[in-house]
Amino acid sequence: MGNLQLLKQEMEENRSLAQGTDVADYYMFLGYRSHYREPAVVAKGYAIASLFKEHKKYVYENDLIAGSLLGRRVPEGTYSQAELEYASRVVSSYGRNGFHTNFDHFAPDYETILELGVGGMICKIKDSLEKHQKAGSKDKKINFLRSAQITMEAFSEMIFEYGTAAEELFLKNGRGNLLEISRICKKLAKNKPDTFHEAIQLVWLCHLSFCYEKRYAMALGRLDQYLYPFYKKDTEAGILSEERAIDLVSCTLYKIIEFKYMNEENTNLSSSDVVNIAIGGVKRDGSDAVNELSYIILEAVKNCNIPGPNLSARMHANIPERFWDKCLDLIGTGIGYPALMNDEVNIPALFRMGYDIEDCRDYSMVGCIENFMTGKQAPWSDGRFNNPKFLELALNNGKCMMTGVQMGIPTGDVSEFTCMQDYIDALEKQTDFAADEYVALFENENDRYNRERLSQPFLSCFCRDCIERGLDIRDGGAIYPSAHGAACMGIATVADSLAAIEKVVFTDKLVTLKEFSQILENNFEGREDIRQACLQAPKYGNNDEFVDKYARWFVDKNAEIFDRYRTYDGGRYYIGIASNITNIPAGLEVSATPDGRKKGKPLSDAASPMHGLDKNGITAVVNSTSKPDFKKVACGTVLNQKFTPMMFSDCTKRDKLKTLIKIYFQKGGQEMQINCVSRAVLEDASVHPENYSDLVVRVSGFSAFYTKLDADVQKDILERTENE
Amino acid sequence: MSDTGFISELQHFSTGDGPGIRTTVFLQGCNLHCEWCHNPETIPSKGSVLQYKNGEKKISGTLMTVQEVLEYILEDVDFYKASGGGVTISGGEPLLQPEFCLALASACNSHHIGVILDTAGNVPYEAFKQVLPYIKTIFFDLKANCPEDYKKRTGGNFDRIVDNLKQLVEDSADVVVRIPVIPGHNDSLDYMEKYVDILLNCGIKRVDLLPFHRLGSSKYTALGRDDYRYKDIKTMHKDKLRPFISILKDRGLDAKIDG
Repeated sequence: MGNLQLLKQEMEENRSLAQGTDVADYYMFLGYRSHYREPAVVAKGYAIASLFKEHKKYVYENDLIAGSLLGRRVPEGTYSQAELEYASRVVSSYGRNGFHTNFDHFAPDYETILELGVGGMICKIKDSLEKHQKAGSKDKKINFLRSAQITMEAFSEMIFEYGTAAEELFLKNGRGNLLEISRICKKLAKNKPDTFHEAIQLVWLCHLSFCYEKRYAMALGRLDQYLYPFYKKDTEAGILSEERAIDLVSCTLYKIIEFKYMNEENTNLSSSDVVNIAIGGVKRDGSDAVNELSYIILEAVKNCNIPGPNLSARMHANIPERFWDKCLDLIGTGIGYPALMNDEVNIPALFRMGYDIEDCRDYSMVGCIENFMTGKQAPWSDGRFNNPKFLELALNNGKCMMTGVQMGIPTGDVSEFTCMQDYIDALEKQTDFAADEYVALFENENDRYNRERLSQPFLSCFCRDCIERGLDIRDGGAIYPSAHGAACMGIATVADSLAAIEKVVFTDKLVTLKEFSQILENNFEGREDIRQACLQAPKYGNNDEFVDKYARWFVDKNAEIFDRYRTYDGGRYYIGIASNITNIPAGLEVSATPDGRKKGKPLSDAASPMHGLDKNGITAVVNSTSKPDFKKVACGTVLNQKFTPMMFSDCTKRDKLKTLIKIYFQKGGQEMQINCVSRAVLEDASVHPENYSDLVVRVSGFSAFYTKLDADVQKDILERTENE
Repeated sequence: MSDTGFISELQHFSTGDGPGIRTTVFLQGCNLHCEWCHNPETIPSKGSVLQYKNGEKKISGTLMTVQEVLEYILEDVDFYKASGGGVTISGGEPLLQPEFCLALASACNSHHIGVILDTAGNVPYEAFKQVLPYIKTIFFDLKANCPEDYKKRTGGNFDRIVDNLKQLVEDSADVVVRIPVIPGHNDSLDYMEKYVDILLNCGIKRVDLLPFHRLGSSKYTALGRDDYRYKDIKTMHKDKLRPFISILKDRGLDAKIDG
């Protein structure tokens, strides 16, 4: 098993070190306070340098890869509350970047640093600085490059110190792995990596530094591509076995869990980091990119078995069968990864946004699913666009039914509407206006700060062509302008609602639109009959064109709207059909909706049909959810599907599942996140059947929904397939 | 009329009813009463109602035309094509409605969709004769290996069933025999050997063994029945069937575990 098992144990034993006081700010403060006279960007460089220098360099005895986040914590009481507050005030004064000012959710350019090494990167910065000085470039470029140099030199020293720390440990216990870590880190402080071990060590230390800067959701990107040349060379020279490679990758990825150790009290989803790794896909020339490392990473993620590494597999029309099988194998263990991304949709979707086709082929993801131009664009940002809210506004002349606030524009009293198109027109107008507001408010945030002062000198070294241009990643250094994603929520809620209006009001004529509006405002009180009629109307996910046409409209309309806007540096607004878990809080702000949903209840989730309302099985879901044109959805989509373990353990059934997903992708589906429900999850299904109403059991000549089975029988599904 | 069938259920994405991704049409009505039946709601010829504890109600037995069933089937045409799948007509006993089966299978064929017929075989041979030209493969259940067991456990006529099987092979039908392996009934090596005698005698080449499961137990309760004998018998692990597969293969049969 290599070092991973021992490392897991050791990390678990040392978990308490992750508690205590966070000192990232404090260390930055030390850097700022010694350089108050420097321009802000340079002071920032010194602050980052201090962060890299001051933090304690923990090395696990059983590790193969150095670099721990534990250095961000010191025991409670090391610094007084007063000291910490003082430090925090100074750091705040220099400005805090956040998600909406392009701070994290970024896939760095790892290729360049692997090619140059840290020493080479320092030379590159120095060369550029010299060039710009000679050319009489503006001060801001000189200062930016000075700052980048300061951070990179400090990074170099940091790497060396990890080497020293490993060496000290080695002198105590004589363990070979620590000597090797020491040798590697001392080499990487200046020189470029030659071996696979050295390469992945360097990547990890870069990633770790971003985490020290408190960045969340930093991606590792196309790990199987940029590390491949090293892997190939080593295996051809006979100095690296597959097992060893798996162990190296595992020891690297497992440390992602330190973030979780540090955020134990945080009970919401973001207690774990989200480090996206994109394997497979195509190369820049369009040919298949799957290689041995792709499989090794699958194995490593399986061995780690933690939520942090967000493994995503890029699938294309000619991807090897073996890759499909290995991905499904991993999904079948119940881990939920990899998410399956469809290159045949993602690449055209990005191309439509104006990027070079080769760069589109080189895309990776950040966060969960957000498509990103690897190493060539400022960090990602997104927001939530509450589409279902506009249904209500269109019914109520722009007024919120819950508060009476005039949130939207007046689009007319609905008693004047005579047909479905009148309502759609009003809805489109409300959506247009809401988008104007969304974009204005986002831009206020995104463009609020002086970009010269709120710089990112270290991060910019990992984005082309910041060093050459002498410009910060947000200030024109990046090859491509920044992008922003508007995650359009509730596609099913909206489609179902429009279908319900068409059926109940305009087809069956049970009530007028005005009456309907009032019924919704009263949360269906006293009109359960109408609510039932709404619930009986056609629902998205059942392959019914009556409602599916509105899902198509939803994507077309939102794409058309957001195509109009540009970010501060001329970049595009993407749309995404995803919501994370925000469909729940968003639902709190929305009145009762025409699909039969009551006031305040959750909206539909991401791209999925409304929970429990897809009653015709997975093929109907595939048929319905492949109708919208996802090539207009550049950010990405999430479609969650659950299956029982039987679907994976039986080769024949597994092949059918594979075929199903292939068909989905052929039909234009963009993404699928498959959950093979584990024992723990199935037990939860007994307690919360309402969350598993779509889980089906497929056995010869038999059909049932999982939740209709007797309790003791539900476990049989596992008995039937689990290995003794 | 042949145009209308009495249907229990229509099901997309069937993965255990033949090759590829299939749609299964479960017909209502059965003339057997197998002890281990997992679709008890399909037995009453007049239909039945399943009333679940959570208040949900399901009606088994609705009249549907060939056209209506075909519409449902055609939704998944892309899936059949890509996976080598098609339609399986099952039940209940589909051959109690042979004209409907004929009409439906013929309609499927005209859309280039292959049809498998899943039957217990306890019907006059004429029923088979009618539908055979439109059926790609017959899945033929062989529930026991002797008249006594057949009568006791299922109510079926062993002689008639075996004669039908023989006749099908003689008429060049593509037949796969399906044996549900039930604890305490036919799950022994000796029992299996005797099965093989019958199969070889009939000229059968392919056999599927289906491991016992009790996934239908809640349906009995929902039907208001308390006579399900297998309530506490645990679902059979597939591995338990391996010795039986060996016997079948040793004696020259093409055997596999399905379900």
